Amino acid sequence: MTALVSELIPELIPEFAPELDREFDASAVDAEPSLPASHAATATLIASAAAVLAACGGAGSDVGTLPSSATSASSQSSVTGNAAQSVPSAAPNAPATTPTTPTTSTSNSATVNTANGSGAADAPIDLPGAARFLAQSTFGASRAEIARTQQMGVTAWLDEQFAMPLGTSHVQWLTSKGHDNASLIFNSSAFDYTVWRAFLSSPDQLRQRVVYALTQILVVSIDGVNSAWKPFSVGNYLDVLAANAFGNFRTLLEQVTLTPAMGDYLNMRGNRKADPSTGRLPDENYARELMQLFTIGLTELNPDGTPRLVGGQPQDTYDQEDVTGLARLLTGWEYAVGYDGLPQQYIAPMFCYPARHETGASSFLTVSVPGGNDGPGALKLVLDGLFAHPNIGPFIGRQLIQRLVTSNPSPAYVGRVAAAFANNGAGVRGDMKALIRAVLTDVEARTVQTAPEAGKLVEPVLRFTQFARAFSVTSPSGAWKLGNLSDPATRLGQSPLHSPSVFNFYRPGFVPPNTAFASMGLVAPELQITSESSVAGYLNFMQTVINNIASINATDLVVDYSGLQSIAADANALAAEVELILAANRLGLTNRTLIRSALASMPIATVANLLDRVKAAILLTMATPEYLVLR
Amino acid sequence: MKKASATRREFMRRTAGLSVAGAAAPWALNLAAISEAAAQTATDYKALVCVFLAGGNDFANTVIPFDASGYADYAAIRSTIATPQASLVGLNALNAPGGRQYALAPQLTTSPSTSVLALKSLADLFNNGKLGVMLNIGTLIRPTTKAQYTAKSVLLPPKLFSHNDQTSFWQSSRPEGATIGWGGSIMEVLASSGTSGNTNATFSCMSATGNSVFLAGGSTAQYQVSTNGAVAVAGIPRSSSTGTKLFNSAPAAAALKTLITAHSGTNLLENAHFAVTQRSVAAEEMMRTALTGTLATTFGSVDTTGKAIANSLADQLRIVARTIAARGALGVKRQVFFVSLGGFDLHDYLPQKHPLLLQQVNDAMSQFYAATVELGVQNQVTTFTASDFGRTAISNGDGSDHGWGSHHVVMGGAVKGRTLYGTPPVLANNGPDDVGQGRLLPTTSVDQLAATLATWFGVQATDLPLVVPSIGNYSLKNLGLLV
Repeated sequence: MTALVSELIPELIPEFAPELDREFDASAVDAEPSLPASHAATATLIASAAAVLAACGGAGSDVGTLPSSATSASSQSSVTGNAAQSVPSAAPNAPATTPTTPTTSTSNSATVNTANGSGAADAPIDLPGAARFLAQSTFGASRAEIARTQQMGVTAWLDEQFAMPLGTSHVQWLTSKGHDNASLIFNSSAFDYTVWRAFLSSPDQLRQRVVYALTQILVVSIDGVNSAWKPFSVGNYLDVLAANAFGNFRTLLEQVTLTPAMGDYLNMRGNRKADPSTGRLPDENYARELMQLFTIGLTELNPDGTPRLVGGQPQDTYDQEDVTGLARLLTGWEYAVGYDGLPQQYIAPMFCYPARHETGASSFLTVSVPGGNDGPGALKLVLDGLFAHPNIGPFIGRQLIQRLVTSNPSPAYVGRVAAAFANNGAGVRGDMKALIRAVLTDVEARTVQTAPEAGKLVEPVLRFTQFARAFSVTSPSGAWKLGNLSDPATRLGQSPLHSPSVFNFYRPGFVPPNTAFASMGLVAPELQITSESSVAGYLNFMQTVINNIASINATDLVVDYSGLQSIAADANALAAEVELILAANRLGLTNRTLIRSALASMPIATVANLLDRVKAAILLTMATPEYLVLR
Repeated sequence: MKKASATRREFMRRTAGLSVAGAAAPWALNLAAISEAAAQTATDYKALVCVFLAGGNDFANTVIPFDASGYADYAAIRSTIATPQASLVGLNALNAPGGRQYALAPQLTTSPSTSVLALKSLADLFNNGKLGVMLNIGTLIRPTTKAQYTAKSVLLPPKLFSHNDQTSFWQSSRPEGATIGWGGSIMEVLASSGTSGNTNATFSCMSATGNSVFLAGGSTAQYQVSTNGAVAVAGIPRSSSTGTKLFNSAPAAAALKTLITAHSGTNLLENAHFAVTQRSVAAEEMMRTALTGTLATTFGSVDTTGKAIANSLADQLRIVARTIAARGALGVKRQVFFVSLGGFDLHDYLPQKHPLLLQQVNDAMSQFYAATVELGVQNQVTTFTASDFGRTAISNGDGSDHGWGSHHVVMGGAVKGRTLYGTPPVLANNGPDDVGQGRLLPTTSVDQLAATLATWFGVQATDLPLVVPSIGNYSLKNLGLLV
């Protein structure tokens, strides 16, 4: 979206009352599968929630929603169970034979050799090559990790990462640290803590980095989620992404769709069939964005991601009638757990109330769902249809390339990645490991690119995480009290899961005005959040962080500069080390010389002097245009 | 085509300049080379301010039919999300097109936050002739009838009902990916004809809310300012002093300044980012010395108990007002501003959340008008609302979905206010203006609004196609909104 929206919906909305009215609408009550045993008990709960809400200044919402207690996990019909087993040839241009997809991917680590361009991972790499690779595949790496990766090579590193078990989940961590205390029901702070913890300290860095990439494609922003227990709701969404990041995209799509976080963010939760008596129609929000942003996009694509032209004109993938038809199929979903004041309501996959689901025949694209369908069954057909659409591989693949490697991949690169999505080499479509491997091992990823348009602007969050991981920022207390860094004037202008809308921090197709990008047909997503304010805010924030990370209200964080301090007396050695770790040796001679001479002028008489040199080396390197573009 | 005017030739040269310059051209030098032309004929000051309601404003609960039959239609189609009739106060309009009367939403009619102002609300501004309402305006390429829409026999804006594309089309008459908006191209035309009067192009197009295609022109870079003014880089010496140290080192501070103000590379991303950084440093020095005055007008919102509540739009319009106050020091005679408020995509909770947003809009815009009065420029500053699209009139339960035509307002001393412009839409399922679920087929085009504002700003009639490529498709090229 071209107009970046820097405001967020006000959170101060006590909206339980209208929710109550809706839920206790007489016509609806009779149709509910399970009702509270006691309305009085519910009223008490809601009254106490209202008191909490008032005490918190009214923050939060949804406290009165669906006081149904009997919906257990066992009563939910699973749409996940066999959802991805077969792929109907529903979409236009679908291949004649579509590979089947197991629910749980069992794909191995076989190298994908679908076309020229892959297999570059097997070539030996040097230290800068390892640093560059880790900048694409992790949140940043220490000198030791760079050396280790250089030794083992890209393929072995990927194999090691793919084999890593899931670490502590967000829900587990939040619970273990007491963030489920009832007093915190409307407090969102712990969400930032657990996200930074996972991104900065988890050993499964590839998974976490892919999770972060997915949060920028299947976007949820915590600022747009209206519910209680937001850290648990959005934390669970991240847990679902992590659990499926190395699985299958079909399963991932379904599990994301059913998270309460997504349900609240894009309004599938509470979406009900049409009511002729009031004129009410199904909510179209999730239907539209599921197609436009999460699966197929607006324009029909060739397998290499270029627009499919007919008579020289691009072709729309869908129209308003498709959105309306799909919206009907996505009716009936609600929290599976009734309101009891506990986080579980916002964690359990959503449940479809048959009485709220539109059972009449519906269709969208080439998917026709007959009358008498149920919600889970309809969802299966919907997602199968989208998953089979020829757009999905190039549409998702190109964006994953943009998040990890480069803003302007060649069509051939996109084509190779899309081919890996279509078939992992063992007949499986949507295998995330194959997709990730194709992105990161492609020759365009593994070779330093020198064309004028090469690379990607490193987004502010990744600059910060790279600093933090390079120099072992950690939380000795385990609290990870690092907050929302969204303010562009004083922080990073970006913070995970805080995008201003479902259109992410920036659009994959953003074309910066007043530059050569437009005339050359190029895009630069990250430039959309680059402004005269943000560039100054970034430098000031990093100066503060580098000087004393605890001073940004992250009082329990510590950094380790010991490795650099030990060589700081030698300005050239210091500068070279920092440039390798942070910038994979890509500074130009002019700036390299400039930094070295500035460092050489700084005194070395005391430990404090040496520390100043280290800090200056880091900030000056992170200020260079060369550092800011990973290529 | 007729013989190209001098303005047109210059416009083409400037807008094409960067593409011709190619990959290796140092961006900043190129910009300097095509800075303002010599003839600076504008002697007065004028500003346009676009208030973008991001997410798609619910028009039906913003400007509400007030006459009996109009309200009955409204209540019938809106069902559970209708605003109660008893809460409405009708506008005292000079006209009643089609016999229709309207009220503004209650939050646009009164406010606890603006009690000290002479004109306390958008309704006050309307009734006192400082604000007009534009009915059913939206993106079009040419005038379009429902029959033409249904038959798909006329070119329509692409990707209707899609946020990002319709946001782009509203601001540029082009879908997502556009790099020229009509705000930016208005300034570009004035610069090309040498009539902007600006001695410094940096502050011609300013955003207080991030990147917008609205402000993008060919060579006119938009300047993004924070709500507190320009952000200084702490670690570099200012041009006026050399004492700044970075980590206790003056050479390190000097090196940082060189790194972010001098660069010659070939990578386009490096150069684009560098250009922003370089402009940030240069503009901050100017803004810091120029923005010294204070405004007496208070900006912000309070709740009914008088407690301050966040109003980002008020923060943005305050920095716009402060910038206008500094117009002399900044060397500008013509400026286009962009501000925005998000959160309007209310598929759910519309009756609860929309009023809170409208209250912020009311307070911020009323306060901004008061600030222009304080500065004595109320007749020279024209402010208008815009949004991705309108929404469905039909309820989806507790919200509305993506639509098309919408109602908007235009505010300022130059506005022929107290007037309803355009054609009142019929709010009826399958009615003459409905293309489905109460989505309005616009009867006034954004192109016509853009041409109207451009003309007021000084763009010559012959140059209007440079701002609005489709303007030739409309017989009415000026909506007559402005004195």
